[in-house]
Amino acid sequence: MGGTFLARKVGQAAITIVAIIVINFALFRLMPGSPERVLLRGTPNVTAERLEALRERWGLNDPISPIDFADGGPTFHADNQLFKYVGATLSGDLGYSFIARGQTVVDVLGQRIWPTLLLFGLGELVAIALGLALGAYSGWRRGGPIDYVGNGVSLILYSTPYFLLGMAFLLIFATTLNWFPTYGMLTAGRVYGSPIDYFLDLGAHLILPLATVSLGLVGQYAIVMRSSIIETLSEDYVNTARAMGLTEGRILRRHALPNALLPTVTLIAINLGYVIAGAITVEVVFNWPGLGTLTVQALTARDYPVLQGVFLLLSVAVVLANLVADLVYGLLDPRVRT
Amino acid sequence: MQSSIRARLAATAATVALIFAGLGSSVVPVAAADPLQLKTGTDQDLQVLNPFSSILVVDFEVFTLNYDLLVNFGPDIEPVPGFADKWEVSSDGLTWTFHIRDGMKWSDGTPATSADAAYTYQLILDATARSDASADGYYLGAGYLEGYLTNAGVTAVSAPDASTLVVTTEFANTLLLQAYVPILPKHVWEKYTLDEIGSIDGSTPFLNEPTVVGTGPYQAVEWEPGNFIRFARNPYYWGTQGAADEVVIQTFQSMDTAVQALKSGEIDYVRGIQPDQFKALQSDPDIQVVEGISNGYSEIAFNTYSRGPIEGGGASTKALQDPAFRDALAWAIDQEKLVEVTLGGFGEPGDTIVPPFHTRWHASPTNPRRFDIAEAIKRLDAAGYKLDANGKRLDKEGKPITLRVTWPDSEAENATNAQFIKGWWEQLGVGVDAYVTEEGKLLDDLLPPEAGGLANFDIELWGWVGDPDPTSLLNVLRGEEIGSFSDSFYDNPRYDELFLLQRAEADEQKRFEYIKEMQNLAYDEAPYIVMYYDAELHAYRKDRFGGWTNQPTEGGTPLFGYGSGGYTRLTDLSAAPAPTDQPSASAGPTAAPGDGTPSDTSNATPLIVGGVVLVAIIAGGLVLMRRRAAPPTEEE
Repeated sequence: MGGTFLARKVGQAAITIVAIIVINFALFRLMPGSPERVLLRGTPNVTAERLEALRERWGLNDPISPIDFADGGPTFHADNQLFKYVGATLSGDLGYSFIARGQTVVDVLGQRIWPTLLLFGLGELVAIALGLALGAYSGWRRGGPIDYVGNGVSLILYSTPYFLLGMAFLLIFATTLNWFPTYGMLTAGRVYGSPIDYFLDLGAHLILPLATVSLGLVGQYAIVMRSSIIETLSEDYVNTARAMGLTEGRILRRHALPNALLPTVTLIAINLGYVIAGAITVEVVFNWPGLGTLTVQALTARDYPVLQGVFLLLSVAVVLANLVADLVYGLLDPRVRT
Repeated sequence: MQSSIRARLAATAATVALIFAGLGSSVVPVAAADPLQLKTGTDQDLQVLNPFSSILVVDFEVFTLNYDLLVNFGPDIEPVPGFADKWEVSSDGLTWTFHIRDGMKWSDGTPATSADAAYTYQLILDATARSDASADGYYLGAGYLEGYLTNAGVTAVSAPDASTLVVTTEFANTLLLQAYVPILPKHVWEKYTLDEIGSIDGSTPFLNEPTVVGTGPYQAVEWEPGNFIRFARNPYYWGTQGAADEVVIQTFQSMDTAVQALKSGEIDYVRGIQPDQFKALQSDPDIQVVEGISNGYSEIAFNTYSRGPIEGGGASTKALQDPAFRDALAWAIDQEKLVEVTLGGFGEPGDTIVPPFHTRWHASPTNPRRFDIAEAIKRLDAAGYKLDANGKRLDKEGKPITLRVTWPDSEAENATNAQFIKGWWEQLGVGVDAYVTEEGKLLDDLLPPEAGGLANFDIELWGWVGDPDPTSLLNVLRGEEIGSFSDSFYDNPRYDELFLLQRAEADEQKRFEYIKEMQNLAYDEAPYIVMYYDAELHAYRKDRFGGWTNQPTEGGTPLFGYGSGGYTRLTDLSAAPAPTDQPSASAGPTAAPGDGTPSDTSNATPLIVGGVVLVAIIAGGLVLMRRRAAPPTEEE
């Protein structure tokens, strides 16, 4: 039974990913303007002959769709851009960047994914630890001073956009107090005497964006955890536990918490998928060289292959995170395994 | 159940460890003292290191650090010794003899000789010859550098001996001394063909990646595309070395962040700030703001295409071909208002196509217009554009005129301009349909039939940036440029004739007369209405480096100008005690040895505090989970 559940979920995810690849392909073919213009970086100096050569080299002369109805009946083109794109994507070939000369999209994404994973992976960890603890405590001591303050702070943080929080940190801790650097991940051209130097430099650059990401997420987790705990604490089995004479702390840890965690697991898993998407504003504020700044650069420079790669990565991450959520949920709550 | 949560946490921790490992592996530790860095910030994103592919200001800035021009530009953009230290011209003005600097070396130690200069110029001549031979033309890379030699009429180049370069020109002129062509090392570049060097889409094996070999003061040694480029001192540089050991040009996605980095002292210079940021920085005692006059303009360009109708494209009315119609519309443009609102006051109202930046060449219009709606109406009536019963202005075919006004999405400020233009022209009965166009699509729309396009637009709002010489700005209105640089398709034989005359005129006064007539022609017939000359807003710190000099001295900016002089003139203020005329220059908060940036170990305390907090948070969370996962000891 567990096997079919797994197979069904994985199958659904796989179908979704293929659909995403096709939509991703279509989306960029619907954009205005022509890709060869992007390759030319806006120079008006181009001849019709070279434009043609360019189209040929980048495969832009092939028909877009495998089937067309131009001459009345359906015509099939074996050499079409869609099949080539899907085939190449599935084999891990995302093409060449228009802008980063001579580099593949996989190379470009590869360089930029680590800073993002570091920042947001760590940010998620901090937010989970802090948010769940805060939420659980305020829910348990509902109406107490911690709940009062914690809930208020959570709501404020939850509703503050990343860029605002980031800008505030930047102004206070980087510019005014001069405690931390304002931008980047490492000091350009810095020579490190030892790995410790390296980690100190990285750490100094990391603190402010990390605080922004964690605090941006923490409110959401705390609020969901709090309401979940409150709901759980009114369940019959909690009353039973109380009747059995268990201590309040034991009830919270052994009975209420595990059940209250269920909704947050889903939330966390889905959030993991949006990690990269959320990166954009934080990364731009701190000039963090990750996928977020890459997305903005690719957008302004119209680097379609890189944008396509980012979109693909984003959507696949969301699908996979959902898959993980489904599976973990199935593991935690046998009722959903059918 | 509990064990699965623990496993998940362990897995996450492992992922984080992996990420750290991935980051760590990219570090190459080298033991040395931290070099003195000059850090500049810009909103532009460097995309190429091959000078022939240069388009953006930052592209040009980078190649002038790497390379020398044959003749460099001085503080007032005057010709000063560069790759050549002396030059003379024959009495007929047609043969130039350049003496190449003795004992000069490339940054890799190879002798730099006239053969390198001849090689570079020949590369461009080869490309031009290929263009002339082909019906379709040919461009070397982005095609921005050939013009410097073709406009100077260069016909041949030779290197009779290692220190002599002879250049012959078709006509006498002085443009050769302003050729913005970097002299490249033959021994590095000759391994590649013209097509590989001149590729436009980067599908070439040759990208001129770091470490770049040049004769300029600083050589690119590290490039992280989209992030920064780092230059190290050229040990063989022939001139005075600048105070900075390294130069970093950092790209910022948000200029707010760049301004904060300037205030905190992490960068020394920033280009391209906004008016409100400029005003905010004015009160900072450590920061100097610079409002440089722009060598360029933003214009309202009309589609004046007159070489016959274009099937499925072209302008929506023939009125745009009529100079009287365009002139009337120009009377209804309030340039001062646009400067005030769109530029926040940082710029000059526009008149002619040669900006006042070119002090020797700019001429105010002989018949200036002013903002006068009534005059515009009078002129439209006089030119035969009547109003219909609904108050709509009709063209000579009897059709109500509605003009499509568009601009590229990369120039957001033009949305404001378009709204004003719409308001003014609608008072004339001329309808305006204003909309933004994706830049790539607009570039396509602007192509005339000569370049395989449909010229499908009425009016576009865009701008040009010029060279030290006005030639390139004058060039865009030539009839010969239709199908290339021309985006208005202005086609006036007298203008074209004047262009050739001024180009071949070595006498400055006579040349000015030609250029003045061209400016007046373009102003009166208005294929372009110049909206404004926007200011260049820069800012730099005064407490780390001294010797900042504006280029040009009057109204220029210290960096992102012409040539590398702005970098080599800098002095290190932290090395010597503050000079008497610079009181309190060293009183800044970071006067520690080695010019500590905030990430130095001297500032590690908050970092350690932050680290402890981080560890405490994660540990606290883990403890919470672990306690919950403790083995059951009591009855359930």
